[in-house]
Amino acid sequence: MSEIIIGLAAGAAYSLMAVGVVVIYKCTRALSIAQGEIGAFGLFYGLRWHDRGLPIVGWHLSSFETLLAAVVLGALIGIVFERFVMRALVSRPPLDGLIATLGLALFLALAELKLFGTNPAKPGHPVGSGRVTILGATLINERLVALALAGITAVGITLFFNRTKFGLAVLATTSDPTVAKILGVPVNQVYRFAWILGGVLSGLAAALLSPVFGSLVPFSQTRFALAALAGAVVGGLDSVEGAILGSLLVGVVESVTSVALDPGWGAVAILALVLSTLLIRPQGLLGTSALV
Amino acid sequence: MPSSEPVTDRIRALVAKRVVAVGAVALAGVVLIVLPFQPLYHVTNTAANIYTGVLAVAITALGLDILVARTGQLSLAHAAFLGIAEISSIGLAGRSVPWPLAIMGAMAITAAVSVAVGLPSLRIRGLQVAIATLAFQLMCEKRIFTSLTLTGSGYQFTRPSFIATDRSVYLFGLACLAVTLVVRRRLAVTKAGRTFLAVRDVERRTPCFGVEAGTSKLLAYAVSGALVGLGGALLALRENGPVTDFQAFGLLPSLQLVAIVVIGGAGSAAGIVLAAFFTSGLPLLLGDKGIGVGIGPLHVFTVHGDTLPLVAAALLVLAVRFQPEGIGGGLVKVHDRLNEVLGLAPPKPDPSPRDVDLIEAAGHAESLRVVPRAMSLTLPVRALLEADGVSVRYGGINALTDISLEVRRGEIVGLIGANGAGKSTFFNAVSGFAPTTGRITYRGVSLLDRPPSRRTSLGIARTFQDMGLVRSETVKENVLLVQNWLARYPGASGILGLGQSLGTEKDLRVRADLALELFGLDHLADERLGDLPYGTMRIAEIAAAVAAGPDLLLLDEATAGLGPEESHALGDRFVALRDELGLTLVIIEHHVPLVARVCDYCYCLESGQLIAEGSPAQVVAQPRVIESFLGRAAAATGGAAS
Repeated sequence: MSEIIIGLAAGAAYSLMAVGVVVIYKCTRALSIAQGEIGAFGLFYGLRWHDRGLPIVGWHLSSFETLLAAVVLGALIGIVFERFVMRALVSRPPLDGLIATLGLALFLALAELKLFGTNPAKPGHPVGSGRVTILGATLINERLVALALAGITAVGITLFFNRTKFGLAVLATTSDPTVAKILGVPVNQVYRFAWILGGVLSGLAAALLSPVFGSLVPFSQTRFALAALAGAVVGGLDSVEGAILGSLLVGVVESVTSVALDPGWGAVAILALVLSTLLIRPQGLLGTSALV
Repeated sequence: MPSSEPVTDRIRALVAKRVVAVGAVALAGVVLIVLPFQPLYHVTNTAANIYTGVLAVAITALGLDILVARTGQLSLAHAAFLGIAEISSIGLAGRSVPWPLAIMGAMAITAAVSVAVGLPSLRIRGLQVAIATLAFQLMCEKRIFTSLTLTGSGYQFTRPSFIATDRSVYLFGLACLAVTLVVRRRLAVTKAGRTFLAVRDVERRTPCFGVEAGTSKLLAYAVSGALVGLGGALLALRENGPVTDFQAFGLLPSLQLVAIVVIGGAGSAAGIVLAAFFTSGLPLLLGDKGIGVGIGPLHVFTVHGDTLPLVAAALLVLAVRFQPEGIGGGLVKVHDRLNEVLGLAPPKPDPSPRDVDLIEAAGHAESLRVVPRAMSLTLPVRALLEADGVSVRYGGINALTDISLEVRRGEIVGLIGANGAGKSTFFNAVSGFAPTTGRITYRGVSLLDRPPSRRTSLGIARTFQDMGLVRSETVKENVLLVQNWLARYPGASGILGLGQSLGTEKDLRVRADLALELFGLDHLADERLGDLPYGTMRIAEIAAAVAAGPDLLLLDEATAGLGPEESHALGDRFVALRDELGLTLVIIEHHVPLVARVCDYCYCLESGQLIAEGSPAQVVAQPRVIESFLGRAAAATGGAAS
């Protein structure tokens, strides 16, 4: 039972990245595999400023402020990358977008290695170092916050897409960017929104996932992003609810097999889940048939 | 065939083509053959090992490129494949399997793994397949490369005596690279390569060429995996002992392999080899020493080895954004520019079809009709194609309702009707691209019982309203693609040049030339299809369909986009195809005068229903037809409004 709770908590953190993946995919038709590294890069800076203080000002960030730094820097990376790279790729084959985000992940990870070295950074506890025991599973605060945030994101984004005018613009852009543009829908704002949201969620995920493991090394978040991508594919790439459901499923499957066998089998289970989903129901659990 | 081009122009064109190839290959050759044997390096075994590593990475990247450039699939697990290849060759050699067999075994194992990972591509066309490969990569890192039993750490083996030194392993690696390049070349000129491109660009239409898209994709994964297997065997030889460090097979190298392919330029072997050297050789060769940029006091900065991967990652993003063709594409651009400056650029051929004497040309092209056909399909019949109560439903929409019609042998049958009447849907029902009920028989054979990819061999060819060919390929390659059902050798044996493949390919090229001559396109055979004017592309598509040796040709709006004179000439070609080559044609046509001129019989559809049939004059005179085309008011005045 406790491994299911732990799996759900891990899945909730994955789902933050997975929602970013799905929103970016829905809005721009690009599959981003940089959703781990964007936030990690921000968090690396946050942690450095925590240790050494902000440059010039010399103000040391608190643990909570490192989370904010990850979120803000994540959003900034999203804005810049969207404006100067991804926007030009919208009309190109979808593979180009995937490769560009792959380049970003690679670049950020190697830049971290260059800037911060191979010694792991020690993330603090941005939301206090408390622990809670639920049904035999001991969860640190970050896990609980991740669970709560996953729920809030699910409800928030669904409401946002369905109830606001901007949500309608997103829908229009998704179905046909050219027509949407002609009708006066601000498609560029939609693209920017998607990448800002992706960056913010990536920063949150990095700040909430890394304390669980007590260390942050270049590329470690990309590995979590793989679980998130698996979750998004299992749930359906064009469904926010699907991304959350899929990520929770991935988290639970990974946790249960890791405990029952050994951690290596967790990765085998994720692969089996992805392959069987794609072979049996290629559009994913809640995805639309437009994906096939 | 006599050519009107002056000989000098043709020589110039030949030189122009060669220079770019020679330039790129020379550059790659310097990196791989001249540099390693410079006094600076050749004494140390380390340098030889670094270069061998470059070769292994280059071979792996060239294998990945087959997937990316030819089938449009992306694998993010090629580094894991490389690891599997190395441990399987060590495992086999360590169990005292002779080296040549161990290498082949590693290639077979890696090919099988690659195919298994590629399975989702059968069910889904999207980017999700790449995510499945990513999950596989992660699984290998966490489960396979961490297991002492699976990685065969206990096996002892020694290099075979003929490649005992590091240097000779490098030379052996060069031979492996040569094999890889030959395989890629064979792929490009045989059936397999063409079908890969078709699957990439027009997947849903490949059954028309007798291609099973799924088999093609899996073959691409297999070839790609086999090449990676070769790279892994090379690494095993270099290592000369159990693998100790699995970092080279991690996620980072997997992504770097994609970077190598993109920076090098998908499809460009020389570019990929150079990029492999830049990302996996140079950083190690430079090491911590670094290399100074600038001379003496003008020293600008020092590039250290460990900066290069970061530079490569930045280059990857920049390449996708600004130079999607990579180094290879860049070389071509430089070369084209050079030719322009030197005045060597070959003159552009006239992009419209030449005038041909139809009767004479058709006489030459008679051998196009010689295709293997089952005995029962060669017997004369009255009606070639019979549709009986054919309906097509998409969800709640009736695209075709209870259509019954027949196409008699040796006729040109017109299919007219307003947009959305169901004309193309009828063709799709015949080709097997629409969910069809009812009965369609061709020469008495029920079509609906046959998979779409088998229908071409019965003798049915078709064109599409919006061009169903590969625009990035030459006209001739496209004709060869459409003839694919005639290439009756297994794709894999074509790559190896075995069995009938060489002879068959030769014959197909002759057929392709004949078909192009028949349509006056012979001077455009080597032009990229997508570079030609729309009208010429349409005619090239018809030429390709005729080259497939059909008895029944279905042409969907062949004259769309053609001028009045061109349309008229095309009408003459239809008649010549029937009279001289004995083909039966069904044409979907909006231009009623053309229908009246060439058709023997005509059917009119409206909203999925057959509303009139008869000779063109009879059909066009019917009030219902006039109403359908011109509206109710026009029908009342007997079409006078037109």
